[in-house]
Amino acid sequence: MIYKLAVPGPIEDVDELRVLLWHGEPGTRFAAGALVVELETHKAVVEVRASRPGVLRAILAPAGDWQQVGRTLALMGDDEAEPLPADAGPLASWLVEFEVT
Amino acid sequence: MSRLALLRSMLAIRAFEDALAVHPECGFQLLSSGEEALAVGVCAALTSDDQLLSSGRSIGPALARGLDPGAVMAELLGRATGPCKGKGGRGHLAQPSAGFFGAHAVVGGNLSIAAGVALAMQVERRPGIVVCIFGDGACGAGALHETLNLAALWKLPLLFACDNNGWSISTPRARALAPRRLSDLATPFGIPAVTVDGMDVLAVRDATQRFAERARAGEGPAFLEGVTERFATHSTATRETRSADEMAAIRARCPIRRLAATLERDGELDAAGLARLERDAADAALRAVRFAEASPPADIAEIARDVA
Amino acid sequence: MSPDAPKSTRLFFREAIARALAEAMHADPRVVILGQDVGPLGGAYREFAGLHATFGASRVRDMPVAENAMVGIGVGAAAAGLRPLVSITYMDFVMLALDPLVNYGAKLRYKTGGQLHAPVVVKATAGAKGQGVAHSQSLESWLVGVPGLTVVAPSNAADAYGLMGAALDHDGPVVYVDHKRLFPTAGDVPDAPVRVPIGRATVRRRGDNATIATHSYGCRIADAAADRLAAEGIRCEIVDLRTLAPLDVATVASSAARTGALVTLEEGQLPCGLGAELAYRVREEIGPIRVARIGAAPAPISGNRLLEAATLPSVEDVVVAVRRLLERPATNPRTR
Repeated sequence: MIYKLAVPGPIEDVDELRVLLWHGEPGTRFAAGALVVELETHKAVVEVRASRPGVLRAILAPAGDWQQVGRTLALMGDDEAEPLPADAGPLASWLVEFEVT
Repeated sequence: MSRLALLRSMLAIRAFEDALAVHPECGFQLLSSGEEALAVGVCAALTSDDQLLSSGRSIGPALARGLDPGAVMAELLGRATGPCKGKGGRGHLAQPSAGFFGAHAVVGGNLSIAAGVALAMQVERRPGIVVCIFGDGACGAGALHETLNLAALWKLPLLFACDNNGWSISTPRARALAPRRLSDLATPFGIPAVTVDGMDVLAVRDATQRFAERARAGEGPAFLEGVTERFATHSTATRETRSADEMAAIRARCPIRRLAATLERDGELDAAGLARLERDAADAALRAVRFAEASPPADIAEIARDVA
Repeated sequence: MSPDAPKSTRLFFREAIARALAEAMHADPRVVILGQDVGPLGGAYREFAGLHATFGASRVRDMPVAENAMVGIGVGAAAAGLRPLVSITYMDFVMLALDPLVNYGAKLRYKTGGQLHAPVVVKATAGAKGQGVAHSQSLESWLVGVPGLTVVAPSNAADAYGLMGAALDHDGPVVYVDHKRLFPTAGDVPDAPVRVPIGRATVRRRGDNATIATHSYGCRIADAAADRLAAEGIRCEIVDLRTLAPLDVATVASSAARTGALVTLEEGQLPCGLGAELAYRVREEIGPIRVARIGAAPAPISGNRLLEAATLPSVEDVVVAVRRLLERPATNPRTR
């Protein structure tokens, strides 16, 4: 399955965030608990970690991009092979843990 | 600075204020009479690198610092030839180019300003220290305690010179301030402090000199309390609350007479010499008055200048 | 975007401030920062982030809670040759610093006949955001009538950057008022080192039916209100004051002369507020005109969420005010 990766909102007092650093590229496999991407809010850096294993398939918001909370930042998959859908809208969410540091 | 020079400086202040006090345009003034030794003793330890700030009782400090008496009189009488163009008056008299960063009429208001000047000197590694003369009346204000704290923390090259004449206008020190010895106010901050007889110009000078050397060496601030007597009323607009007998006893402690007596005892001065010095001072004061009187009044167009 | 458009970078409001300070501090060793939590913490809103690490503890100094002495030291240091920025975390506490700021800083050039002046920037964060009656006030109107004092208020990241640069360049005391609710916002900031000129308002949004004159966070409320009114066919012009003292009355008057209706919006109190001043000054320029003023309700601003929201001006308040104003008969203002 292909999933969408987003920071679930709402977050109190945070509207938009900046993508700081992806800790991988399309094809990178993440174990549960691994750090996938760092985001920056006006207050702090948010570490987004995988809550289950998966493969990063496509980055939709590269480093330096700004995004609203809740918007899709990347597509994740169970494996590398499955073709990506044209429309990311109806995809299920890929569960993440995030910590505001 | 020689002892004779100290005497001349005090005489100049006394004569200047005597001339001012009888002038029809005297206006609202705070006089330093009786407190000359504190201003003169402090200034004797300063160089041209240093800056002096004072309270609204600025005439003694300004003249002791070496400002031209004619220019000072002009400022007090609201003339355009004063260093502040007549716009500051006694309460805001200033001539930073002469090392007198200035007076500020708000009680305690110049203390944090002085600390800021000291910070600038420290950050820019300029030679020079800052001295702020303030009265016992400022010692209850938060401004003093906040400034002592920061001066100690940052080891600012700042000397706190408290001119303790025992009065906040009509309130004696004992009813205004809990500490009897005001130099004790600095001790909790770890700032070296001393109380001297403020009527003894040599004692004031020597104490200031020691603290100034420390500050110049980067060792930080110090607090000097000089216990003085105020000969006149708090201001020309305030009533005297002390009795004639009290005043007679107070005037007997005159710092000028005291130094003159010392010099006479040591053979550096005789009665005729003293009389000559007194005449010189009176003449100089008269010249200052004449200069001020001959100067144009402050220009009304100045209301629009230097506002922003 | 056309190839000739000036390049810009999207920054958080706080980053725009930090960038202006970093540039100024690199260019001029006299620029120093004094304030609570400005050092390693980088400021309550992280608006000084990185500056302590780059410039060191001598130039970015953490202060104890002592606003009176802190501002006095900043003013005195400015008079003696430094270019300090003094940070007051909550504008409410500028009250403690009014003596050195107003009685010395603002009067220094005048009282010394030009011998001394105090190029100091006092940055204060205004605005209510759940912190209670003594940590929520917008006191700009208390300062705008002080001769010798300049007051500026950015409404967005670009102006936060441009006005900070201008404030640091200015040769007298400047109060730089930002707002708690602006820190979560982001905006495009020109890459070039541009300044926003002091004393000039700007038109943020063009419209013909009503003028809304406001500043700081009020610009965002006005914008949201303008969106709603546009759906009703009412096109609002929003004038962002940017500088509160000296006030750019001409820009507001010129807009109001065209629209024929002026709404002023501030988070501060209405009595002797910016709206009262603008209403009268605009009338002096262009004659009688329909005016409505919006400000906080005349009550302390509780930290209680419900009460706070009911005390502060809302988007709905602006929408209703514009509609009601336009129901009143128009006058014939003199066009400039």
